[in-house]
Amino acid sequence: MGTEEGRYRLSADSAEGFLPSDEEIEKWMDSAFGMAKDALENGEVPVGCLMVYNDEVVGKGRNEVNETKNATRHAEMVALDQLLDWCGGCSLDVSSVCERTALYVTVEPCIMCAAALRLLNIPVVVYGCRNERFGGCGSVLDVSSADLPQTGSAFKCVSGHRADEAVEMLKTFYKQENPNGDQKLFFCLSFIVSFPMSPYLIFPHLNIFCLFGIFCSSSLRSFFQLYLVS
Amino acid sequence: MHETTHPVRVTTGFFMFELKICLNFWDTSCQLISFTDFYEAKENTGTMEPQTKRWKGSECDTDSWVAYPVLSDEQSQDVELIEAFAAPIVDKKETSRLVRELNGLYPLNGLQHIKRVRAVKGSLHPLEVLVCLVSEAPDLKEASIDSLLPSGGVKHDGLGQPFVVTVPARPPLTRPQFELVRKHWPTSFHEDKQVTVALRGELFSPPQKARMHTYMTSALTAARTGSELGMEAVGAVMVDPVMERIIAVGHDCRGDHPLHHAVMVCIDLVARSQGGGCYPFDRYPGCSFQKLPDAEASPQPYICTGYDLYVTREPCVMCAMALVHSRIGRVFYGTASADGAFGSKYKIHSQKDLNHRFEVYKGVLGKQCEDLNCVDQHINNKTSQHSR
Ligand SMILES: [Zn+2]
Ligand SMILES: [Zn+2]
Repeated sequence: MGTEEGRYRLSADSAEGFLPSDEEIEKWMDSAFGMAKDALENGEVPVGCLMVYNDEVVGKGRNEVNETKNATRHAEMVALDQLLDWCGGCSLDVSSVCERTALYVTVEPCIMCAAALRLLNIPVVVYGCRNERFGGCGSVLDVSSADLPQTGSAFKCVSGHRADEAVEMLKTFYKQENPNGDQKLFFCLSFIVSFPMSPYLIFPHLNIFCLFGIFCSSSLRSFFQLYLVS
Repeated sequence: MHETTHPVRVTTGFFMFELKICLNFWDTSCQLISFTDFYEAKENTGTMEPQTKRWKGSECDTDSWVAYPVLSDEQSQDVELIEAFAAPIVDKKETSRLVRELNGLYPLNGLQHIKRVRAVKGSLHPLEVLVCLVSEAPDLKEASIDSLLPSGGVKHDGLGQPFVVTVPARPPLTRPQFELVRKHWPTSFHEDKQVTVALRGELFSPPQKARMHTYMTSALTAARTGSELGMEAVGAVMVDPVMERIIAVGHDCRGDHPLHHAVMVCIDLVARSQGGGCYPFDRYPGCSFQKLPDAEASPQPYICTGYDLYVTREPCVMCAMALVHSRIGRVFYGTASADGAFGSKYKIHSQKDLNHRFEVYKGVLGKQCEDLNCVDQHINNKTSQHSR
């Protein structure tokens, strides 16, 4: 997975004339990476995400799945909510703000988030590395450019910006979570992982989730990967 | 339904360890759900029962609809056919030798579902053997037995002139596919009985259908409530099928938040039922959730695992993927939608690249769900008249 610096503007020839400049991309992706680093240092999923309108951050998000028990609370969805609140606070029309707002995120948005971005007619998404598991901008499905007349409008993707770094952070996160040799931490983590899944251990036919985790690898690390990557 | 044998069921080492740990914790802090909890919960659903009476006559007849499975592309497409050379066996006694030698020369790799020999009724030569695929044949222009079977390998004795037949490129996955391909060449078929029954629309028993009817009626009621508030007429109901209990009822709220489709609302209401959630939907009388009996004392479900979702129309891409993330058990929808992500545009529930797959059925109260679109139309017309 190279940084693709030379290639990353390819898919982004301006259709509606709205496209951030290289300097803007540099600057806002730097902030997004800063957020991801912060998250990593605090033991959270290292994904940084922000929405920029008129050179102003109008939405910022981090993964809130665990605390809300709502699996749709990905960083992008949180940031979109903030954008909507911001529009409300400034009495600005949501659609006219959205059509001039760019999303900067360190990892490719998933299929759900890509569809949500379409529904709000966000025109540009700048992201770092691919999301092989759930990616909605080409890695699993290409929701970003598909012909879906009832699902808002297609958006442009600028991909590959500091991709290696984004991947590296995710790797570090999983390594850090991997409690090799630390018995106490291991026990603790086993509990965190197994507790929400306990009903499915009792009812084995509901076990696809759990089994899939084991299937991927028998280490806790991949359990966490399953749990937390958006 | 077609994943009856999951390849990882055999991996037990780590699994057992996990099980032990979580049981330890249960001993100290949790208990299994008690009977009293269960019955109390059942009684509580009273407030969330659908207003069946209001819609009597049109919606109480479970014979008026059939739930059909929404299958993967591989299961619902016609099986691709490829051309192959076959030849009559003119000397029956040579059959086993010919089959053995042909298997050596042209092993038909990846086509194990195709039978090598077929019986032909009322023909001069009652047996025909598959020689090779047309794509494997050494010389296409001159399809003689000599060109197909170069010296050595297979002795030509007992074989007639080759001719072209079509054979299925993949094994048939459903009975309709099997019925279709067997007309071309005999093919083996490992039938998934549940799929066959489901495709006939006979998977659900009358009592099951009655329950499905009740749940979808609830979703229809929610859809109408939402539509009266100016939202799109879409309703969704989350059900715990083991307890036969409604967990959450939601309707479209996109008038107030563009992403609050009925399914997204329902997912957050389920989170609320588990002590999470992030939106206050309390101001909508049509949106509600059932607090789970004593979160402290019973094992909590993990997001939507094991739950069934009833939704009046096929979910969009965002909602469908939200259900994948939420590890939904099964989805039942009434009617298809243009950009729907289960049957119309994508088949997200059967995507091989995604780590959670589930069954989807369509057609539950299909007519009534379809009529909701007219409700929408009607209201839109009324509002546009007002604005004029
Ligand atoms: Zn996402
Ligand atoms: Zn939707």
